[in-house]
Amino acid sequence: MDVIRLENVEKTYIMGKVKVHALRGVNLAIEKGEYVAIMGPSGSGKSTLMNQVGALDRPTKGRVFIEEHDISKMSDNELAKIRRENIGFIFQQFNLISRLTAIENVELPMWYAGMSKIKRVRRAAELLRLVGLGDRMKHRPTELSGGQMQRVCIARALANNPDIIMADEPTGNLDSKSSEDIMEILEKLNKEGRTIVMVTHEDEYAKRAGRTIIIRDGRIVS
Amino acid sequence: MLQYIELTLKNLAYQKMRAVLTLLGVIIGITAVVAMVSIGAGMSQAVEEQFEAFGTNKIIVTATQSLGATGQGLTDSDVNAIEEVFGVEFVSPMYSVSTGTEFKGEEKVATVWGLDPDKAERTFSDVGGYNMYAGRWLQPGDRNVVVVGFQIHDDFYKTSIESGNKITIQGEEFRVVGIFKEVGDPDQDSVIMMNIDTLRELLGREDSVSGIIVRVKNGADVDIVALRIEERLKNRHEDAEFMVSTSQQLLESIKSMTQVIQIVFGGIAAISLLVGGIGIANTMIMNVMERTPEIGIMKATGATNNQIMKIFLVESGIFGLIGGSIGIFFGYLISKAINVAAETYLGPNLLVTAVTNDMIMQALGFSLAVGVISGVYPAYRAVKLDPVEALRG
Repeated sequence: MDVIRLENVEKTYIMGKVKVHALRGVNLAIEKGEYVAIMGPSGSGKSTLMNQVGALDRPTKGRVFIEEHDISKMSDNELAKIRRENIGFIFQQFNLISRLTAIENVELPMWYAGMSKIKRVRRAAELLRLVGLGDRMKHRPTELSGGQMQRVCIARALANNPDIIMADEPTGNLDSKSSEDIMEILEKLNKEGRTIVMVTHEDEYAKRAGRTIIIRDGRIVS
Repeated sequence: MLQYIELTLKNLAYQKMRAVLTLLGVIIGITAVVAMVSIGAGMSQAVEEQFEAFGTNKIIVTATQSLGATGQGLTDSDVNAIEEVFGVEFVSPMYSVSTGTEFKGEEKVATVWGLDPDKAERTFSDVGGYNMYAGRWLQPGDRNVVVVGFQIHDDFYKTSIESGNKITIQGEEFRVVGIFKEVGDPDQDSVIMMNIDTLRELLGREDSVSGIIVRVKNGADVDIVALRIEERLKNRHEDAEFMVSTSQQLLESIKSMTQVIQIVFGGIAAISLLVGGIGIANTMIMNVMERTPEIGIMKATGATNNQIMKIFLVESGIFGLIGGSIGIFFGYLISKAINVAAETYLGPNLLVTAVTNDMIMQALGFSLAVGVISGVYPAYRAVKLDPVEALRG
C-alpha cells in the first residue's frame, strides 16, 4: 500500500508579479515502511514537495494522497487532523517553542488531539526517555544543545504515534556527532515500521536511506 | 479550557512589561467605570432618599410668574381656594427670598423663608431633617422671631449664633428662638425661617406667595387632588402662572435626571475602557506577528484553526479579566475614598457611594467582553496564516 502518493502534482506561487512553478507535474509513490531521501539543489522545489507530502499545503493541480486520504480538496481543519494523526515533523531549525519546556513542547500535539493532561505527561516523558533526554524534561530549548533540541523535536514528532515521519534536513544545523545520533534514531524508527521521508543535502546520509529521489526544476529526475 | 489558561499565563509571564502596560489600559478603564458608576449611583440614591423623606402625600404649587406677565402670581386667596379643594388636608403658604442679613456688624446674603406660623410645624413635621437642635419651632403669634438652620448657627457668620441672639433682616431685628439639627444639605442647613406676614411686610409684597405646600388627606389620590387644584387655579388665573407638581412627579423627574447623569458618567468612563481595549488589540497583533513561527509550528503539529483562535481569544480575554479585577479593586478604593471625603466635607450620609456585587459582576463581564472582542481580529489573523509561510517566519 502506498502511504503517500502524488499524481501529476503542480504547485505555482505568485511572488509579486512573477509566477513561480515550484512543482511541474510530480508523480511519486512511497510505500509503507519505506525510507526515502529527497535531494536537490536549493530552489529545485524539494521544500515545496516536502510541504505537499507533509499535508502542510494543497497542490495547485493534481492530487496528493496520504494514507489514501485525498488532501487536495481538504479544509484547513481536515489537513490539521492529518498532520496531527498521520505525520510527525522534524525540522532543520528544530522549531520548538522557546517559552515551553522540553516536555511541554512534546505535549503540544497531544494537547491538540485532546488527550488528558495525565496521559499526555506520561507519554511525553516516555518519549523523551526514548530519545535519551530523560534528565532534560524541564529544560527550555535555550538550555539544550542542538542535538538535544533535535531529539526533543523527534519526541514531539512521535507524540501521536504517526506512521509517517517527515524530516526536513534534520542534521542541517548539527555537528557530525549529533547528526549521527539523529540518523540512528531515524533508522530505528524506520525499523519499527514507520515511513521516513527525509530531505537532505548530504550524500552520505542519503545513501543510508532505502531510496533517493532527486528533484530538479520542479521535476523528479531520478 | 484550563490548558488554554495555563498556556496564556506562560505567555504573559514571558512578556511581563508588555503585559503590564497592556493591563494598565484596562485597569484605568475599569477603575474609571467602577468609580464613576458608583459615584453616580450614590448621587442618585442621596437625592432620592432626601426627596423621599419629604413624603409622597404632598403637592407643591409654585408661582412661575415671569417678567412682563400681566397677572400677579399666587396670592393668599389662591391658598384659600386650594384649601377648599376636595381631598386637601391643609395648605401652607410660603414666601422665599434671598436677602441681606446682619449679625454683629457682619452683613451676608441668606435665604429666608416666610411660613405660616400656625401651620409650619405641622407641614414639616413628617419631613425629614427639620428636628430641633435647640429652642423651638415657629409658633402661632410669632412676629419678630426666626428659626435658623444649623449652618446659620454654626459658621455662617464669624460669631456663631445662639438661641436668644438677635439678627437684623431688612433693617428689622429678629430674635433667634430655634436652631435645626444639621442634615448635611447645605441649602437646608442655611435657611432662616420666619412668619410669612412679617416677611411680606418687610418686602412690601402684601399677600403674594411664592409657593404652596399642600398636604393630601390620607386615602385621597394625590394625582387626582393635584388635577383638581390645577383646575381650580386655572379658573382663577388667565395665564398659567403656576405649576402644580406632586412629590411623586418631582421624584420621578429627579430620578430620570440622575439616570442621565449616571449614563454620562458611565459613558465617559467607557471611553477610557475602549482605549484599554485598543491597547489589548494592539498587543495581541504584536503577539501574533512575533509568534508567527510558533503559529506555524502549532499548525504543523496539528492544531486546528479553532484551537489557534481559542488560544488567542483566551489570551486577550485574560488580559481583560485580570485588568478588570485590578480595576474593580482600585475603583472600589476610589469609591471608598470619595465616601470618606464626602462625609468629611459635605456632611454625613449626603453622598454614600457603593460598589455592589451586581456592579462587580457587570464590570467583570464587561472587561472580559472587552478583552475577547479586542482579540477577535488578532486571532483571526493568526488563524489565516499559511502554515508554510508562518514556519518560515
